[in-house]
Amino acid sequence: MLRKATGSAPRRFALNRSQRRTVAFSLFISPWLLGFIFLAIAPLAIGFLSSLTNFDGLNLPTVKFVGLANYVRAFHDPDVGFSALRTLIWGFVNVPVYLVLSFLLALILNQDIPGRGLFRTLFYLPSVVPVVASVMAWKVILDKNVGLLNAFIDIFRPGTAIGWLSNYALQGMTAISVWTGLGFGMVVFLAALQNIPDELIEAARLDGANGRQVLRHITLPLMTPVIFLQLVMGLINSFQTMNLPLILSQPGTYTQGVVAPRAIYLYMIHTYKQVFSNRLYGYGNALLWMLFAAVLVLTGVVFWTQKYWVYSENAGEGGQR
Amino acid sequence: MRAYGRERFVKRLNRALGLSVLILTTALLMLPLAALFVASLKLDSEYLRWPIVLFPKVPQWIHYEQVLGLARFAKAVVRTTLLGIPYAIVITLTSALAGYGFARYLVPANSRLFGIVVAMLIVPEMVILIPTFIIYAQLKLHNTYWPWVLSALAGSPFYIFLFRQFFLNFPRELEEAAEVDGCGPLRIFVQIFLPNSTAVLATVMFFAFNGIWSSYLVPLIYLKDTQTLLGVVMASEFQNPRGIKLTTLSMAGTVIYILPPVLAFFLAQKHILRGVVTTGLKG
Repeated sequence: MLRKATGSAPRRFALNRSQRRTVAFSLFISPWLLGFIFLAIAPLAIGFLSSLTNFDGLNLPTVKFVGLANYVRAFHDPDVGFSALRTLIWGFVNVPVYLVLSFLLALILNQDIPGRGLFRTLFYLPSVVPVVASVMAWKVILDKNVGLLNAFIDIFRPGTAIGWLSNYALQGMTAISVWTGLGFGMVVFLAALQNIPDELIEAARLDGANGRQVLRHITLPLMTPVIFLQLVMGLINSFQTMNLPLILSQPGTYTQGVVAPRAIYLYMIHTYKQVFSNRLYGYGNALLWMLFAAVLVLTGVVFWTQKYWVYSENAGEGGQR
Repeated sequence: MRAYGRERFVKRLNRALGLSVLILTTALLMLPLAALFVASLKLDSEYLRWPIVLFPKVPQWIHYEQVLGLARFAKAVVRTTLLGIPYAIVITLTSALAGYGFARYLVPANSRLFGIVVAMLIVPEMVILIPTFIIYAQLKLHNTYWPWVLSALAGSPFYIFLFRQFFLNFPRELEEAAEVDGCGPLRIFVQIFLPNSTAVLATVMFFAFNGIWSSYLVPLIYLKDTQTLLGVVMASEFQNPRGIKLTTLSMAGTVIYILPPVLAFFLAQKHILRGVVTTGLKG
């Protein structure tokens, strides 16, 4: 389309114009490009290089190359295995709960229901609440001693004092995280549901399909690309979860963990401690790159499963998004 | 005829069921915020009592006055706002510039470079954030606001993506007509595209400002306590001069902390949710 437009102009100018366009393009994207080089590529490279050294932030003049020692060390660090396992559990609890609940809500909202816009707005509301404030709000519910949830359970089972933010912090954290993310998932799923052409569903109805069959054979297959995207992003975000467990286990914060709850001693918390408490910059960066590798492998696996369950309109064409 | 009646009945039943699920879910989702608000009106002794007291005997509205008078809170609000507003404006503009370039200039390098933008959405941000901190610390730029300045100037892949999708929808004739009239590229962007993009500009600015307002980890690692942002300040309870924790007063502070993003969201929810859909469906 572009070539057609320029083709009508005299040739001399056309060349000139395309060069001018390249210059303009470069200028428009140059802030991002410079930022990408200095604020993304440089840290990635320096992070990787320092993972091969004994760098601790103070020994720059005498820093030593240690090969893969930091990576080997990770395999002998029992906390790495422990926290990686906790992170896997966290991801496989949090992501499915989030996906299923937000999808169900979107299905319900996709009907002709009064006040649909208002529900959509209210469901998304928790997503704009700052994470620190959401922890504070949930503490009123989940507190071990004076929380509303334990008070409620206490009616049926007197003497209840469940540590939703200590021993059962994984469950407590899942509640906070799903509460925050539910609206986002629902809004996205709802928009995708509304993109499904009505004719498809009507045609199936005319062929005698009932509601469940329409869902199973029309709606779900057409939704798989969106579910896929949400699954990938959800898993990536779970693996690098940092804010919630940090706030929940930082001494001096609202939840006053004198001892950080082991249930939410996630991989990033362990990494954070290596960098910011122990000043093991080299080791910390090695742990980060192991996380990066794990995320890439997992994303690759999920992408590979795509061909078995994700519906694609132009299979094999690989159209640009 | 009977089958038709039955179908309509099932449809109505489904709708009633759906509606009750929605109302129940809304109640559950609003419960933590409502509970926080009610607790902020209690005395500390009422809040910490067991068995619990659901509502305060006398609502302590004075908590809201007192917390606004706390220097630590008020200063953090001012500091965060003064950083957040210019940050949001600058990052919105740089992201809009890049998004515009990607949307309107289909030069050879375009798709490959845009592929990088999309790939950056998948790189775990911690893998970049922590070495960035290490670099800034070596350059003695921690305890300054330079990290925010630099990241605002660079724009953000998420916002660039959002702007690109938005600018793709403009008709080509628009800029062709302007070019014939002798408008340069920057003038076309500033005088034709930006004025027609107020909704998406406001959306990105909301996300960017709320990002600063809500941020916890970044100010925690970059800034010392006396100059830190609101997110870090709100993560621990306020204390009276004798070192005693003021729990419910801090809750009043948290309610105030939540209000600006919530109000802004209600005002612009239509545009914001559209932006959410764009990033969620294609990002």
